Amino acid sequence: MVDQTRPEDRWRHVRVLFLAFLGLWLLFTLFPLYFMIITALKTTAETNLTVPTFWPEIMAFGNFAAVFAEATNFDALVDSFVIATINTLLSLFLGTLAGYAFARFPRQAGGENLAFWILSNRMFPPVAILVPMFFLFDSTPWGTDSIWSLVILYLVFNLPLATWLMMVFFRDAPRELEEAAYLDGWTPLRAFMRITLPLVLPGMISVAMLCWIFAWNEYLFANLFVGTDVRTYTIVIPTFTHGSQTLWNLQMAFSLIAMIPPVTLFILLRRYMVRGLSLGVVKG
Amino acid sequence: MSNVTLSKVNKIYGTGRMGVHAVRDLDLAVPNGEFMALLGPSGCGKTSTLRMIVGLEPITSGDIHFDEVRVNDLEPRERNVAMAFETYALYPNFTVEENLAFPLEVRGVPPADRRRRARELAELLRITEILSAKPPVLSGGQQQRVSLGRALIREPAVFILDEVMSHLDAHLKFQMLFDLKRLHQELRRTMIYVTHDQVEALALADRVAVMSNAELQQVGDRNALYNRPANMFVADFIGEPPTTFIPVERCDHAGSTRLHATGADLVFDVAAERVPGLDAHGGRKFMVGIRPQNLHLCDDGATIGGKIVINEYLGERSILSIVTGDVTLQALAPPETRMTPGEHACFSLDPRDVMIFDTETGALVT
Repeated sequence: MVDQTRPEDRWRHVRVLFLAFLGLWLLFTLFPLYFMIITALKTTAETNLTVPTFWPEIMAFGNFAAVFAEATNFDALVDSFVIATINTLLSLFLGTLAGYAFARFPRQAGGENLAFWILSNRMFPPVAILVPMFFLFDSTPWGTDSIWSLVILYLVFNLPLATWLMMVFFRDAPRELEEAAYLDGWTPLRAFMRITLPLVLPGMISVAMLCWIFAWNEYLFANLFVGTDVRTYTIVIPTFTHGSQTLWNLQMAFSLIAMIPPVTLFILLRRYMVRGLSLGVVKG
Repeated sequence: MSNVTLSKVNKIYGTGRMGVHAVRDLDLAVPNGEFMALLGPSGCGKTSTLRMIVGLEPITSGDIHFDEVRVNDLEPRERNVAMAFETYALYPNFTVEENLAFPLEVRGVPPADRRRRARELAELLRITEILSAKPPVLSGGQQQRVSLGRALIREPAVFILDEVMSHLDAHLKFQMLFDLKRLHQELRRTMIYVTHDQVEALALADRVAVMSNAELQQVGDRNALYNRPANMFVADFIGEPPTTFIPVERCDHAGSTRLHATGADLVFDVAAERVPGLDAHGGRKFMVGIRPQNLHLCDDGATIGGKIVINEYLGERSILSIVTGDVTLQALAPPETRMTPGEHACFSLDPRDVMIFDTETGALVT
């Protein structure tokens, strides 16, 4: 048999197959989000049905207000925001300086081994240091239940990432530009601030996003460390219960509200994100 | 404007046995206003030398003076040097005009003056139409001009140009050579031009310093380098196609001195005035260097004969490769030369064009 299909027909098949796959993939990834949204809109009774409904019978928009019935719940969002933001600024500041040192003065900064050791801090499971860290921070003047304990603790995870990524970005920024600026009469610090830093800015913004989202979403340590003076939103979510009953609708409503800041940030900065994450991938 | 003097300058990268000696006991003086080229193959130490002059690389030992001032311990910005980089190194987030005016901005020149100077320079370099563009959209030649302009805008003690033409195509390079020469004649400033391309070096520079293996081989104008190369490296490196070297042995016969090739039936006469030089050396074995340009095709009475193996036609000339005994020689011939491989050819050679080198050290004997 001779294949009678024309080439363009065959391409159409590939396209259809491709779109079908894409549709399936979308369904797969978006379904949890969809279920989250409809659950947030359901009444408590409907969330407890044995056969789940895929569209709320009664739209319970009141859920979004009900989560703030306890006034401190809003403060938890604020605490999370403050912790994530301070931690991100610190990670960026320290990570940028350290990354620059590793990129430009590898020998003086301790060499490839030290740089790798810093990255290796992200390789152990965080839970392994949960208890030691608790006792460590418990012995500090401010104790564990404070904004500063989490700000500093999250540096353990974010600083290596920021340092390593910034090092890669700085390696890609041509050294000659700084040298030209020195010859043109600038001090190393000014050349760094005005020439090199703008070059790695997209990278810095993506690093900031990664750090911020990690600190914003962290639950394990927050759950153990804070809870009285300071509460992060992640430890508030499991508190939406009624006796032994989990209030799924309120949990989902609060989670959706907690998604707003990172999603907004991502939309605002997405152009930098893409450029930053592809820095060092595409060359000249 | 300054005289630049390097005395016994050394550069060693790394320490101990792992150290690499990049520049060895370099002595070089560039008088005020001279256009000096630093020429040598990759890895010969010329870029290290230049980076030490501008202050981007610490000096291991030795001294560098600008006029009377020892600059060893001065920061690059305190040395008042300007440099054009091989990679142009234009600030990508500044416009061309901002790039040009940048060195003036640093020195606190008022904005109006900066603008004026940038525009004058743009005029000189023929880049007025791209003043508001940013470097990433410019062509290689335009970037090249902007980077030259940024170096030229102030009045530094010395200009350093580092392989600035290695990324330009042949046509553009020709244009830039012309422009650079013109700029130097107009501005009369001390310039040091680093290159691995002898054509650029010989075309531009008043004098050329040839480096190889971390050491300075010879400093001189093009005639000195071409006709009196200090050693076999310079004889080989300067000139295109390269010099042919033939091992020879000295034979004195009936009052005249001749050199017999050891691997072929070739005899070179030595002019009487050069015999004392050979006598002073004392040895019997030498290397003879012959430039392809100095072999002239002729019909008879020839000094050198051989069989043609290749006839390369290059447009304005032909390169003939001739084999005799163990020796392969190259000769330049007019482009219309119709000689085919296998044919026998004869060449005449003026005894004064024979360069005689020491076999061991490679130094020119006479």
